[in-house]
Amino acid sequence: MMLLRLLSWPYLRRHVLRWTLTLAGIVLGVAVFVAMHTANRSIFSAFDKTIDQIAGSAQLQVSAGEFGFDESILERVQAVPEVGVAVPVIEANVETKIPGQGSILLLGIDMTGDRSLRDYELKDADDAIIDDPLVFLAQPDSVMVTKEFAERNKLEVNSRVPLLTIDGEKQFTVRGIMSSAGMTQAFGGNLAVMDIYAAQQVLGRGRRFDRIDIRAKEGITVDQCKAAVKAALGESFEVETPSARGRHFEGLLRSYSTAMTISSLFALIVGMFIIYNSFAIAVTQRRSEIGILRALGATRGQIQRLFFLESITAGFVGSALGAFAGVGMASVITTYMSTVLEQTTGFAQRVTELAIDPKLIVAGIAIGVITSIFAASIPARSAARVDPVQALQKGKYQVLSAGENRRRRRMALTVSLISVACLFLSYSKLFFYAGYVLMIVAGLLLAPALTLLLSKCLRPILKQLLPAEGTLAADSLVQAPRRTSATVSALMLSLAMVVGFGGFAHSFYTSVGEWMDNALNPDFFVSPSANLVVRAITFPASIRSVIEHVAGVDQVQLVRNARVSFRNVPVMVLAIETEKVSGTVHRMPVAGTTEEMNRLTGQGKGMMVSDSFAQIHTVRMGDIVELPTPSGLLKLPIVGIVRDYSDLQGSLLIDRSVYTKWWNDDTANVARVYVKKGEDVGVVRQRVIDALAGHHGLLVLTNREVRDWIMKLIDQWFALTYNQIAVAILVAVLGIVNTLTVSITDRRRELGVMQAVGGLRNQIRRTIWIEAFSIGVIGLVLGTALGAINLYYSLGMVKRDLGGLDLDYIFPLAFVAFMIPTILAASFIAAIGPAESAVRGSLVEALEYE
Amino acid sequence: MISLSHVSKVFEGKRKATALEDVSLEIAKGQVVSIVGPSGSGKSTLLNLIGGLDRPTSGEIRIEGENLAELSDDDLTRVRRDKIGFVFQFFNLLPTLNCLENVALPLHLRKWPRKKIEARAKELLNLVQLDHRLEHLPDELSGGERQRVAIARALSVYPPILLADEPTGNLDTHTGQEILKLIEDLHSRLGSTILIVTHDLEVANRCFRTVSLRDGRIVEDRRR
Repeated sequence: MMLLRLLSWPYLRRHVLRWTLTLAGIVLGVAVFVAMHTANRSIFSAFDKTIDQIAGSAQLQVSAGEFGFDESILERVQAVPEVGVAVPVIEANVETKIPGQGSILLLGIDMTGDRSLRDYELKDADDAIIDDPLVFLAQPDSVMVTKEFAERNKLEVNSRVPLLTIDGEKQFTVRGIMSSAGMTQAFGGNLAVMDIYAAQQVLGRGRRFDRIDIRAKEGITVDQCKAAVKAALGESFEVETPSARGRHFEGLLRSYSTAMTISSLFALIVGMFIIYNSFAIAVTQRRSEIGILRALGATRGQIQRLFFLESITAGFVGSALGAFAGVGMASVITTYMSTVLEQTTGFAQRVTELAIDPKLIVAGIAIGVITSIFAASIPARSAARVDPVQALQKGKYQVLSAGENRRRRRMALTVSLISVACLFLSYSKLFFYAGYVLMIVAGLLLAPALTLLLSKCLRPILKQLLPAEGTLAADSLVQAPRRTSATVSALMLSLAMVVGFGGFAHSFYTSVGEWMDNALNPDFFVSPSANLVVRAITFPASIRSVIEHVAGVDQVQLVRNARVSFRNVPVMVLAIETEKVSGTVHRMPVAGTTEEMNRLTGQGKGMMVSDSFAQIHTVRMGDIVELPTPSGLLKLPIVGIVRDYSDLQGSLLIDRSVYTKWWNDDTANVARVYVKKGEDVGVVRQRVIDALAGHHGLLVLTNREVRDWIMKLIDQWFALTYNQIAVAILVAVLGIVNTLTVSITDRRRELGVMQAVGGLRNQIRRTIWIEAFSIGVIGLVLGTALGAINLYYSLGMVKRDLGGLDLDYIFPLAFVAFMIPTILAASFIAAIGPAESAVRGSLVEALEYE
Repeated sequence: MISLSHVSKVFEGKRKATALEDVSLEIAKGQVVSIVGPSGSGKSTLLNLIGGLDRPTSGEIRIEGENLAELSDDDLTRVRRDKIGFVFQFFNLLPTLNCLENVALPLHLRKWPRKKIEARAKELLNLVQLDHRLEHLPDELSGGERQRVAIARALSVYPPILLADEPTGNLDTHTGQEILKLIEDLHSRLGSTILIVTHDLEVANRCFRTVSLRDGRIVEDRRR
């Protein structure tokens, strides 16, 4: 501790900037880690809270996916002797037309019985409205809003609220304002309650409910009640506690959060190399100090401990700052992720408070400190190896950062071989991931040797181009491969991540593009919302004839899609008119033949599933898929596996006739419209708009609009990943600055000699720039190579555990072509500071430098 | 050739340290001058100032009539590379370059044509009798051989001035004698002006002129 105060603290004060850069490496890694997990947790927690708050005192909830069920089910539930109270609910996110308010959670309830489960705590005398439900029922435009929502939008009783309904934008009248308690906290206060029968109308639900909330009869346990209701309804309904329902949604974000965790860990590993470099500099610069300490009797252990203590301190400070910054970043990411989630899955959520987990903060700090200690271990060992005689002797110089290790190379080769062997066993998850990790480890272990090899290859080229500056720059790399390899490794990892993610993105865009070309080929789409994932509002099948009668329309295909529970996970079911669709869409089969799968699906004898669904749920051709429906358990065999990106969690395609029969519902959410050959699409579209105007608030979206919307969603999905890549590149640039600083320190005398024998300032600068460029070039070569491997594993990981997408391996050439000038420019920028410091110092001191 | 007029050098720090105080000196072309004095007397500082490696706090230094104080850093470097050769106590050869490359380095920095560089570097190494060591790295040479390479590098453009800071300080007596003899030979052949900083009186006595420094001032200027 004494040494820390006497020696480390003054050194730290002299090099504040460098330590700030070092801490930045830890701060970034930990911040991203904490931010991602906090954001994830906050969203899940908000989901759970909303479900709990809306549930009121309900102990059980009956549901059948998003399709809902017939009103008659309510009577069956109410008839169960164990059930005390059973009330129907319709729940939907609808768009408010109040600027800046986005969506609102609309809760349709039965005014006559719901207050036994939920307390609305109406302000003042408004209770009368609910006390006499007839007042409410008599006015179907009535809504109650929360006090927060009312205050935010300056609403009072009898104010008007515009909401998007099946009939387009419609004005509702505020009949009551609910006080801030219980359920009014749900969905960030953006909650409106209306009569359930009015909700059925405005949302186009027909005679259907989404859910039934239950409280058990007194003296009956929840489990007893659950068993009794299940027995009464059969397997086709889910009977769950509210909290259990919330957990189902976690699966929707899992792939996203896993991808983010992986990239934050990448950032942390890259940060580790920055810490390594900083400690390497510290050891280089403090050689004589260490020599004096050793001469005065300090043991190797004491020197090593001194550096470990420094790394623990730096790790702790950096991690604590990182955790703090992470919590700050979390609120931004939470908002972003909520938007992504809403737009890709249709589940909206308003997160009003962050769910900060102390355990996560401690874990983040621990990871940062451990990373820091691990990174400092080699420089600490080098420090302990400082020879006091050489350190103190004038004219002697012990290059600590030099040296290549044969043992490490052998280890790298062994690890590589094991990794390749794991490839052959990669059908097992364990071997697949073991192979992935080992391949990265092998890359890192081989980095110094490959850096040396590439530096030697570069020497003759650089010598030819610029004999003095080029040779010296290359020699600097050749002289100290370990010094250079830390940064090259950081750069290599960053680029491997860029190539991996970039390649994944590229493959995904390409596959989705192909799928859109094949499946999304109608001339336009009719939908209740510009956002095709909104499934809260449906329209009746009669719309078909309205559109079909428009001159120039060739064909209309109705689609109804919604999530249902399969093996306790919400999956997307698409009810399509198979026969018609098969004539216009040519889905890419993964298993089965197109004709056969279309025929059997159309006859209601089977279903098609997306390859991602098959992968996630490990189902194959011929397997029976059981889906809960209001009419019982629908059991259909898989008759085809196809490429389909309708939903990231996988999708099931059944025929519309099957849907109508089993769900007893003939509504739709999308109409796919084809125009007759030779007709002007724009003109026909306008005719359809005119035909739909007046009696339905439906939108007519062009093919381009839908495609652009999908591409925008994908862009949003990848945007955070791109930001992380930028962070990793930034961290790698910090590494180049650090390496050049060590290099200049190590070569101070050499650069002094160069100036003494006639080297102009620009020639010295060029030497440093060339060195930086060379690091960039080597990093690019190794990073691209490791990236190519990383891409293979990334696609494997995506297929296995992140959405089950089976994407083709497409090397992102354009990405790499973009990265070449980016990295070289970054290298140049990173070299400016060190190059200036190389020419600004005292020449006399440089020539006397030990 | 070399003219110093009231030159002082003060190192600023927590405590000011005066390394040279009001030094005036004229060295004619072709002279071999030794600068002697105890440690800290300012002899290396004087050499560094004459060589343009450092700038005086006050006073004026002229090399062949050119006032160094008026030159920019790059112009100072140009004076150094065209008119001055350096020989250091610790040789200061670049460890990754072989003998030929070390000697060729100043010529590359001057952007000479490659063929001419190679011919000149070989010629110089021949002059210092190391034509058999062209491809050897400094680590593979003895101390004397390294200093020969350093001398060859210092002479790469046949500068009119050669500055040597303790050229024999890191060598055994026999090798030191050989190096001195080489310097004398080169002087007689090339006619350069040579300044040698040394604390070895035997070395000093072999020079035409000896300037003695003490506490940053010239206390004796003896000619033979």
